[in-house]
Amino acid sequence: MAKIDLDNMLEKIKNTQWSLSDVDWDAPGAELITPEQWPKLKAFMADLMWIEHVGARAFAAMAKKAPDDTLRQIYTYFHAEEQRHANAEMALMKRWGMLEDGELPEPNNNLRLVIEWLDRFADDQPVYVLGTVVPMLEIALDGALCKFLLDTVDDPVCHQAFELINGDEARHLGVGFTVMEMQGHGKTYIELIRMTAQLMDPRLILGIASYFPLLNKMRDNIVEMGLPEEKLYEAMRKFEKIGGRTGDGRRNPWFQIIKHHGRFVVDRKKRFYHAPIDALVKVADVIPRKAFPAVPSWVKEITYHPTA
Amino acid sequence: MKNNQPLAQQQPPADALIIGAGFAGLGTAIRLQQQGIRNITILERSDDVGGTWRDNQYPGAACDIPSNLYSFSFAQNPNWSRSFSGSREILEYIHHLVNHFNLRQYIRFHQNVSNLAWDQDKGLWQATTTNGHVFSGRTAVMAQGPLSNPGWPGIAGLDEFKGKKIHSAAWDHDYDLKGKRIAVIGTGASAIQIVPELAKCAGKLTVFQRTPPWIMPRPDFTTPDWNKTLFRKAPVSQTAVRKALYLAHESMALAVIWNSPLTRFAERLGRWHLRKQVPDRWLRRQLTPDYRLGCKRILVSNDYYPALQKPNTKLITWPIDRISQHGIRTVEGIEHQFDCIVFATGFEVSNAGTPFPITGIGGRSLNEEWKRGAQAYKSINVSGYPNLFFTFGPNSGPGHNSALVYMESQMDYIVRSIRTIKSLKLKALDVRQSAQDDHNRSIQSRLAKTNWNSGCQSWYLTEDGFNATMYPGFATQYAKQMADLELKDYRLLAEEAASETF
Ligand SMILES: Cc1cc2nc3c(=O)[nH]c(=O)nc-3n(C[C@H](O)[C@H](O)[C@H](O)COP(=O)(O)OP(=O)(O)OC[C@H]3O[C@@H](n4cnc5c(N)ncnc54)[C@H](O)[C@@H]3O)c2cc1C
Ligand SMILES: [Fe+2]
Ligand SMILES: [Fe+2]
Repeated sequence: MAKIDLDNMLEKIKNTQWSLSDVDWDAPGAELITPEQWPKLKAFMADLMWIEHVGARAFAAMAKKAPDDTLRQIYTYFHAEEQRHANAEMALMKRWGMLEDGELPEPNNNLRLVIEWLDRFADDQPVYVLGTVVPMLEIALDGALCKFLLDTVDDPVCHQAFELINGDEARHLGVGFTVMEMQGHGKTYIELIRMTAQLMDPRLILGIASYFPLLNKMRDNIVEMGLPEEKLYEAMRKFEKIGGRTGDGRRNPWFQIIKHHGRFVVDRKKRFYHAPIDALVKVADVIPRKAFPAVPSWVKEITYHPTA
Repeated sequence: MKNNQPLAQQQPPADALIIGAGFAGLGTAIRLQQQGIRNITILERSDDVGGTWRDNQYPGAACDIPSNLYSFSFAQNPNWSRSFSGSREILEYIHHLVNHFNLRQYIRFHQNVSNLAWDQDKGLWQATTTNGHVFSGRTAVMAQGPLSNPGWPGIAGLDEFKGKKIHSAAWDHDYDLKGKRIAVIGTGASAIQIVPELAKCAGKLTVFQRTPPWIMPRPDFTTPDWNKTLFRKAPVSQTAVRKALYLAHESMALAVIWNSPLTRFAERLGRWHLRKQVPDRWLRRQLTPDYRLGCKRILVSNDYYPALQKPNTKLITWPIDRISQHGIRTVEGIEHQFDCIVFATGFEVSNAGTPFPITGIGGRSLNEEWKRGAQAYKSINVSGYPNLFFTFGPNSGPGHNSALVYMESQMDYIVRSIRTIKSLKLKALDVRQSAQDDHNRSIQSRLAKTNWNSGCQSWYLTEDGFNATMYPGFATQYAKQMADLELKDYRLLAEEAASETF
């Protein structure tokens, strides 16, 4: 992946858009979902769709903090594109009979925590924090999960939809890694310290507390679907490889942090990491619904209807 | 014009050839007339006077500068029905001016100027209109309006839409909006006036926003009868109110034009207004500007935010991908379908060119010269284009005060110049290039420090970010700039002199 020219990228993004009505959601093939697959797929899709949706919200925060107008516009588009992914995935769920009319899938509790955090604090984060975490989430969760899905589901409409989605994702990652390198450019050890100090910001700690368990939770989902968790790890290692391909990339302190964290995630033997985080997943699971505040209104913007 | 067309009809030359019968053109004619200059021709492309206020009759159209200030100081109206009058009432006022000052005699309707050229031998400006007429004048006044040509957005598929398309500046009053699914594209000055009205009658109303504007509370009220009576019986009281309003708006320059503590204060006021009217956090976020107040036009409204929250109304901030047969596709993948799309997308601003070709001495083309941003001397003259005057020329725009205050300064300058041309029997009064350059150097260095040049995109700036539109200062400073005709800045050519010496 060569470093990309962001102005050209913006033009390309503007010129190659798609919409839900480009897909025939009633085409044959829905029957290819097997009865054993169905319940697990439903849970998986619900999580995936929510991950897209929180990814969208993260891009919205990045658009506010973008260092220049080109990136601001790119992030504004990515915000909408992630929403489109969530919408398309919901349309698939609807197609597979996983949603009642007008139903919105319930986010799992880990996701509820992430939603809460994003809604409260994301807009206040410096752009390079989200600028590093988001590519990690994209490559690990978004990218890898989609791939798993295509390995297990034969429905051609699903493949058609994900071809479109993955086309967008390739650009998200291209921009994500380019920006990480831009932010690493000329960074020094001092700045690493300064940025690490930001870890002490309680709002950020809260964010971490919701981001870490999310990764473990998704790992569990994958295992649940009968997929090798190794694939998730492969994807996460890709983050380390691409993000660290240049000196600038490696000098981005946040890359270093996220990279090291990624190494913990992919190594189940690191008990000191996984024990508490898995515990957090379990804790989150038992938080009563009532304990959460009302979902923010942006959450209700998703829809499986191609037209409105 | 094609060469093989029959010879155009020629009219006898006027002392002043005015293009446009809006406030500026009519006001100039009034002032000329008051100075005894009556050989005036006003060319107007439409069938009525009024310009902005004839064309902008969309639901909710009104001025956003108080009427007592948004009117001519030499023709005050004691009868304004509200503090911010509606479009129709302003148009009535303009009709009143035309009748009261007997201006109709000067106006040639249905004359759409497509070319303006200086004839050096005759010392005349020749205006050619689209129906082949040629009008000439010893002097010419560009009063064609800063915002008179509707601007359409560069959205793909604009022509594919099968439903109704309406531009805010060319409203179709025969189209029944009741119960319809309506889209409004744009959230500028016109949109925030239209939206509350459409929200009252639409079946579904969707507002497409790219950049949120700063919106201030609007102190709007109907004028009590005693007030009208007072103004009628004691015009000094109205003059005093006008003066107070003028000063109040002048002080706003401190917040609007320059980045000052008052800018912060005004931003806080804007955010307070938003918080008070919009309880939902996400909607508030969508409506919160992330650029400095004053960088774009500041708007006033009390009913825009509430309208957006009506059950039939929705704000969409997703980027628009394209317009399709049935509606608008946005990047979140959804096609929003409508019966009617309202384009509140503003105007084509000629800040990097002229609205029609203007040819000066030796065939020079102003459109060419302005390609990289319009420039003039004191906003009113351009070197090489003698005896030609611009209203709302380069760097004359107000951001904080009534356009008519600025316009009056321009009109008086024009009248003074035309009188000078007549009394000194000049063939040509042409501003010196050096004077023009000096003026622009000073203007541009002052502009660099303003909010308009602080990094947001707006119609104030050319595509390259050059500010050819706004005047960086108080209206009082502008009036001072326009107060004297400094003949040392001009080259004067007497009527009988040979053109070579020019
Ligand atoms: C919706 C709206 C609201 C506004 N509100 C305010 C406000 O509250 N306060 C304020 O200070 N300013 C406001 N303005 C700015 C407003 O444009 C000016 O205040 C003022 O009306 C301009 O007058 P004008 O005579 O220069 O131009 P116009 O009123 O536009 O008149 C120009 C005339 O020239 C004619 N014309 C144009 N081209 C040609 C041609 N080629 N040949 C022949 N005729 C031609 C047009 O038909 C028109 O009649 C507003 C503008 C708009 C659009
Ligand atoms: Fe995605
Ligand atoms: Fe993505």
